[in-house]
Amino acid sequence: MIAALLRFELAAARRTRTVTLFAAGFALASFVVALVGLSAGGAMAVQGFARTSVSLLQLVVWVVPMMALLTGAVAGAECHELEFVVGLPFGRRQLLAAIWAAWTLALGAALVVGLGAAGVVIALLAGAADGVRYLALVCVAWLLLAATLALGLAIGVTARTRARAVGVAIATWFVLVIGVDLAAIGALAILPPRDAGWGLSLLLLADPVDGARVLGLGLFRADAIAGPTGAALQRVLGGWGAWALVGGLVAWTVVPLAVAGRWFARRDL
Amino acid sequence: MIEIRGLWKRFGDLLALEPLNLTIHAGEVVALVGPNGAGKSTALRILAGILTPSGGRATIAGRDAVTEAVAARREVGYLPQKLGVPTTTVVGDLLELVAATRGIPFAQAAAALAVAGFGDRMGAVVAELSGGQRQRLLLACATLGDVRALLLDEPSISLDVDGAEEVRESIRAAVRRGSAVLFASHYLHDVALLADRIVVMVNGRAIATGTPAALAAAAGIPWREGNEAVDPPIERVYRVLVKRGQEHALRGPLHLVQGDAA
Repeated sequence: MIAALLRFELAAARRTRTVTLFAAGFALASFVVALVGLSAGGAMAVQGFARTSVSLLQLVVWVVPMMALLTGAVAGAECHELEFVVGLPFGRRQLLAAIWAAWTLALGAALVVGLGAAGVVIALLAGAADGVRYLALVCVAWLLLAATLALGLAIGVTARTRARAVGVAIATWFVLVIGVDLAAIGALAILPPRDAGWGLSLLLLADPVDGARVLGLGLFRADAIAGPTGAALQRVLGGWGAWALVGGLVAWTVVPLAVAGRWFARRDL
Repeated sequence: MIEIRGLWKRFGDLLALEPLNLTIHAGEVVALVGPNGAGKSTALRILAGILTPSGGRATIAGRDAVTEAVAARREVGYLPQKLGVPTTTVVGDLLELVAATRGIPFAQAAAALAVAGFGDRMGAVVAELSGGQRQRLLLACATLGDVRALLLDEPSISLDVDGAEEVRESIRAAVRRGSAVLFASHYLHDVALLADRIVVMVNGRAIATGTPAALAAAAGIPWREGNEAVDPPIERVYRVLVKRGQEHALRGPLHLVQGDAA
C-alpha cells in the first residue's frame, strides 16, 4: 500500500511543470557556470572539476534550497485539500513521507540532469580528474534537497494556506542562505576567536545550507582553492567533521518530517 | 455497522456538532438533512477520520474511528463534498491507489470504473473532467470493493438528471451488497427515494430522527408512500421540522421523534 502511495505521489510530481522547468533551468545554469568557470581558470587547468565545482556549489546552495522550500511548502499546504486521499486507509504520516520521497526523487532526478550536463562539459574540456569527488558533490546537493524539502513540507503543513506557506518559505530561504551568514559575520566581529570558532561550528549544524556549502567545499582540495581559509576548513572537516555535517543534514531531513507528520496527524483537515 | 455515541465537535467558540447518537445497520441508508451549517458534513468528516471529535465515540464495523482510524477507514468508502484530490491527478493513477488500498486487482477496479463510464478515460487528468464527471469518478472509487460503510457528502451535487440516477443506483447496489450508507444531501428528492431513516439537523443538533413516515407524522403532514414525484411531502416535512428546530434553538433540547435514533 505504501508503494502504491509512493507511485501515486511520484506520478503527480512528475507531471507538474516544476520538475521539467527545474531540470531545464538547472541544466542551463550549470552549463553556463561550468563554461564560465573553465574559461576563468583555463580550460586546460588540471583542477577543472575542482574549480568549476566550487562555482557550481554556489549555484546549488542558492537554487536548490529555494526550489525545495517552495515546492515543499506548496505540497505541504495542499495536503489540507486532499480530503479524498486522506480518507483512504493509510496514516497521514505515511502520506507526508510519500510526498517527500516523491518530490525528492523527482527534483533529485532534475538535479542529476543539471549537474550531469555540467559534469559532461567539464570532463570533455578539462578531463575527468576529480570526477568521483564531483559525484560526491551531487550527493551533497541531494542531501541539501532532501533536507530543505522536508523543511518546506513542515512549513506548508503548519501554514495551511498556500500563500502563507510560500511567504514563510521565502523568508526561511533568506534566513538560511543570507541571514545565518550575516549572523556569523556579526559573531566573528563580537566574540573572541576561541568562542567564535565553537559558535561557527555549531552554526554549520544549525543551518543546512551552510552545512552543505562547507561539506561541498571540503570535497575539492579546499586548501588549494581557498588558501588558508580552506586549510582551516580541511582541519575542521578532518576526522568526524564531515560526518557531523552529513549527520546534521540528515537530522534536518528527519526532524522537520517528524514534526510535520506529528502536526498533520493530529490536526483537523 | 456504524455506531455513533455522543459524538460532538467544537471549532473554537462554535459548537458545530452537539452530541449525536445514531446507529446505522448493514444494508440501511440514513440521510442527514438540514440547512447549511447544520453539522451534517462535520459528522461525516469525523467518521471518515478527517476531523477529530471533541468528544464521544464512533465505530465502523467495530473499529474505533479515532483510535483505530486506519483500520476503520479500510471498511469505509468516503466521498467528500469538495474534490479532495489534486486536479493534476490522472484517473488511472487514482484508481490504482484506491484499488491498492482496497486490496483488489487493478483490472477488476478498472472494470468497475468502465461501468461508470471511464473505460476510455484512464489517461485523462481530473482537471479535464466536468464537475459531474469528477463526482461520478470519486463515487465510483469510493464504492470500489466491498466496503462495509459508505459516507457520502452531497453525492448528487453537480450532477444532471441521469447522473443523479446513476448515483442513486450506485448507492442501491452498495446497499444490496450489505453496506451501511450515511449520506448528507440538500436534494430532498434523493433523500425520499433512498433513505430508510432521516436525521434532521439544525445548528449542529439532530432535532429529529426517524423514518420518513415518522417524521411526517411528527410534522403533522400526511405521508403517502411512493408518491414522491407528484407531491413531494418530504419538502414540507423538512421545512416544518427545520423551522421548529430553529425556533427552539435557544430554548433547550428539542427532539421531535424519540426512540428510533439507535
